Amino acid sequence: MTTRTRARRGLAVVAAALLLAAGCGDDEDEATESSQQDTATEEASGFEGELAGTFSIDPATCDAEGVRGSYFRMIQAGGTAEEGPFVPNTDSSCTDQTYNPLTGGSESGLVTGEFQAPPDPAFDAAGNGLATDIIEPVTFFAVQFAVATSDADGAATPTVTATSGELTGDLSAWTAYYSNLVFNQGAPKPDGSSPGLTAAVSGTIDADTGAYTLDWSSQIVGGAFNDFTGVWHLEGTFTPAG
Amino acid sequence: MSNGARRGASVVALVIGLGLVVAPFAFQMFSRAPQGGDMIDDFEPYMSTEVIERFRGYLDTVDAADAQASDQLQPALADAGAVPAEDFDTTYVQVASLREQWPDVQADMTDLLDTMDRNLDNYDAVASLPPFPLFPWFFVIPGVLVAGAATWALLAGRRGRSTRPAAWVLVALGVGLVLAPVAFQMFSRAPQGGDMIEDFEPMMTRERVQRVQGYFITMGAAEGQLRNQALPALAAAEGATPEETAEAFPQITALSDVWPTIVTDFAPMVSTMSDNVDNFDAVASLPPFPLFPWFFLIPGLLVAGCGVVALTARPAEAGSDTTHDESAAPVTPTPAASDPEADAAPPEGSSP
Repeated sequence: MTTRTRARRGLAVVAAALLLAAGCGDDEDEATESSQQDTATEEASGFEGELAGTFSIDPATCDAEGVRGSYFRMIQAGGTAEEGPFVPNTDSSCTDQTYNPLTGGSESGLVTGEFQAPPDPAFDAAGNGLATDIIEPVTFFAVQFAVATSDADGAATPTVTATSGELTGDLSAWTAYYSNLVFNQGAPKPDGSSPGLTAAVSGTIDADTGAYTLDWSSQIVGGAFNDFTGVWHLEGTFTPAG
Repeated sequence: MSNGARRGASVVALVIGLGLVVAPFAFQMFSRAPQGGDMIDDFEPYMSTEVIERFRGYLDTVDAADAQASDQLQPALADAGAVPAEDFDTTYVQVASLREQWPDVQADMTDLLDTMDRNLDNYDAVASLPPFPLFPWFFVIPGVLVAGAATWALLAGRRGRSTRPAAWVLVALGVGLVLAPVAFQMFSRAPQGGDMIEDFEPMMTRERVQRVQGYFITMGAAEGQLRNQALPALAAAEGATPEETAEAFPQITALSDVWPTIVTDFAPMVSTMSDNVDNFDAVASLPPFPLFPWFFLIPGLLVAGCGVVALTARPAEAGSDTTHDESAAPVTPTPAASDPEADAAPPEGSSP
């Protein structure tokens, strides 16, 4: 073997070593990127697809600037979502008393993937609704209404689905209990219909924080408030189950 | 009377029977009658003097509170420097709204209660009738029986057999149809039902129900504003306790005390009205109630008459013997008995 040959072999080994090192370095970078992507996917996956967990309900704040947080309004029969007229509830703490502030109940808010059934009995002797899991009962015309998710009339288990930060869902089980009367306030209705001013569940969710909004409206079919429409707006943070 | 008359009577009975069967379908009784039954059941909790007087008491309570808000609270708020008299209506919009609307609300609600009150006896009469869902069957079942007996009579005559048993059945069914409305006192109760339907008509409309729903908002919003805003404002201005202010305005306080009860009584009543608008329309679409007993009586008389004709008719071959019992006719059919054409043209002397 000549010196020149040895030198060539030495260069080849060094080059191979460099190439190998370079190759290994690429793998590490890819692995790092892949790991970062996986983490991001895991974070995003908590707020993508069907969301099972708790949609906590931030209480409303009412001041001169308006209403923030979660609330309920009621459109009078024959009204519209834009113009109302909305029912003024003089027991509301808001300046604009057509807004009824909501506060999360003993389970902080709406739990999807399961029913939050009302207690039995659902009313006290004065006709006040007694369910407290989702929201604290709200005084409405001197009588408290409560909310539960009920499987009555074949309503589906509450579901909310996220698609790129947009929320949709089936809250047909959302039910109000007031004055010894039971009002389905879901969207769609348990039979899948959307009568009158009933509007589907829609909203947004922040992929980083889980902060969400949910809106829907549900026209009452039959009973004392036939053709009145409940307008529901929930705000808070979504926490996945488990 | 001839075999032709006997056949004719049977055919008439068959037609009446089929008519009775078809009538409930023609009047959509199978859907409408149960709706009527639902309405009668739903109104039951409200159709009593006690309940109606309780609702009248609620109206009196609202009336007194409305008057006290205008006559005493408004001046008191002005005197205390809380709300100038001229600003009362804009400060307490809901209270002002009740004051403005109350005369109409009171008149309309009183009319509603008066309507219910004067129909208590009518309601009891209708509620004492057999269950509404059975109504169509009261036509279909006798109709099938009458048609069956008439067919039996026709077939028996055609085969030369005795028609007397079938004729007796027709007579019995006819008498039963005649007696049914008497047994159920339909001649008095059905017109009372008609009176109630007529009287309830202005009450059982979507527009009226929606108006009554609005009254709930008007009264409830005013009560809440008096309780949550006006009285506390006066108490604050006078440096009084809420209890002292409440005692000073007993009519307003009485309204607030009873309001939750009003809601729990009022809401189901409005619910009953609202949920029965369609049921009422269904009942109102039935033939007039006073006619119902005649729907039994007239067919009953006709069917019984057909039966009697069939009983008294004599077969052609027995024309010479007026005392001959058809049941004793020979088993082998005679041409006259087996030939329909022969029935149509009986020999002379075949009539009794």
